[in-house]
Amino acid sequence: MTDHTTPPEGPEYEDDRVLAAEYALGLLSAEERAQFEARLDSDADLRAEVVAWDEHFASVILDEIAPVDPSPQVAKRLQTILFKPEKQSFWQQIWPYGLGGVAAALVLWLTISTGVLIPDDTGLQPDLVAELAPTPDGEGLVIRAAVDTTRGAVEVVRAAGAPPEGRVFELWLIAGDAAPVSLGLLDEGNSTLIDLPQDLVALLAGALLAISDEPPGGSPTGAPTGAVRAAGSLTSS
Amino acid sequence: MTPQEEVENLIARVAMGDRAAFNRLYERTSAKLFGVCLRVLNDRVEAEEVLQDVFVTVWNKADSYKVNGYSPMTWLITITRNRAVDRRRAMKLPPVPIETADLMPDSKPGPEASAVAASEARQIKACLDELPRARAHLVRRAYLEGDSYADLSEATGVNLNTIRTWLRRSLMALRECLSR
Repeated sequence: MTDHTTPPEGPEYEDDRVLAAEYALGLLSAEERAQFEARLDSDADLRAEVVAWDEHFASVILDEIAPVDPSPQVAKRLQTILFKPEKQSFWQQIWPYGLGGVAAALVLWLTISTGVLIPDDTGLQPDLVAELAPTPDGEGLVIRAAVDTTRGAVEVVRAAGAPPEGRVFELWLIAGDAAPVSLGLLDEGNSTLIDLPQDLVALLAGALLAISDEPPGGSPTGAPTGAVRAAGSLTSS
Repeated sequence: MTPQEEVENLIARVAMGDRAAFNRLYERTSAKLFGVCLRVLNDRVEAEEVLQDVFVTVWNKADSYKVNGYSPMTWLITITRNRAVDRRRAMKLPPVPIETADLMPDSKPGPEASAVAASEARQIKACLDELPRARAHLVRRAYLEGDSYADLSEATGVNLNTIRTWLRRSLMALRECLSR
C-alpha cells in the first residue's frame, strides 16, 4: 500500500470497512443498521469510510447512468409544494377540517362500533368522536379522538406518525369562534387519556379538535405556536 | 467555474432560501437524478414521485450539506439513490433474474483490469474489473439497482448466506484495490 496514513490492519478493521460498504449499499438488516448508526455518531473514521464508499459508488452512477428528462409536471408540483404562499394563519389551516368531519366521523363510528380502534382498557364510553385529518404539514398522521362526556375525559389515539424531533403534540379545542383552548399534551406512547373540566365538556359537541406541534412542555404562550398538523370536528358516535 | 463548483455554489445558495438557485439546480441536475430513480424503480410515475421528494429534501436540508463531507453530486446522488431504494423495498418489487451463466465461478476479470485509474470513476471501475465478472455484477446490482441480499439470492437462486459471503469478500477486495 502506498497510502502513508495506512490504518491498522486486522480482522476487526477489515470488518468495519466492509460494514461501511454494506451500510452505504443499504444491505444491512434493520438491527445491524441501527447498531452501525449508533457508532457513526462518535466515530469520525467510520463516517469517513462511509463517505468514501458513497463517493466511489456515486462516481459509477455519474459515469454509467444516462440522464432522462422527467416530465415538466415534477417542476410544477415542486413550485406549488415549496413556494406556495407564506405560512397560513391558524384559522386558515384548520377551516377545511371542520367540513370533512361529518364524513370522517361516520367512518370512525363504523370502525369503533366494530371495536377495532379505541382499545377498551380505559373503560371509556365514547359519545363524541373525531377523526383528525392531517393538514399538509401533518402528512402521515392518523389521529383519532373519542370523548366520554359523562366521565369528562378524552382519549386520543395516535395510530401513525409522530411529532418532529424535539417537539411534542398539543391538543386544542376550538369551540365556535372562540380562541383555541389547550386540552393538554399527547403522551409519547400512542394513546393519551386527558381529563376534561366540566365547563369544557359542555362546549365539545360540534367543536373542532386540532393538534399542533410545540416545544417540549407545550406552547409557551397558551395559544398554538407551531404548525397545525391535524384537525377534525367532534360528532356524536 | 467547474460544473462541480457550480453545483456546490447552487446548493449553498439554496441553503439560504434562494429560489432562483433552486430552480437552476433542478435544471442542472434533475435529469441525472431522474435517471438514477428510473434505474432503481423502472417506473416513471414512481420515479417522478421519488424525484419530487428528493428535491423537497434538498430545499429543506441544503444547509446540512456543508458539514457532511460529500462532494455536491455525490450528496445529491446518494440522497436520490437511497430514497429510490427505500421506495423500491416498500413496493416489494421482485428483482430482475440474473442468468446462471453470469455466475460461473470461472468468469475472468475484464481486459481493462490494469487500466490506470485517472479519475475516481475509472478507479472504482478498474477495481470492479479486477473482480471475477460475476462478483462485480452483484456489486453493481446492489448499487445501481438497489438489490438487497434477499433480492440477489432470489435473482440468482443462490442461498442468502452464500450471496452475503460473496458480496462481502468482493467489497473487501474492492476496498483493498481502492486503497492501492
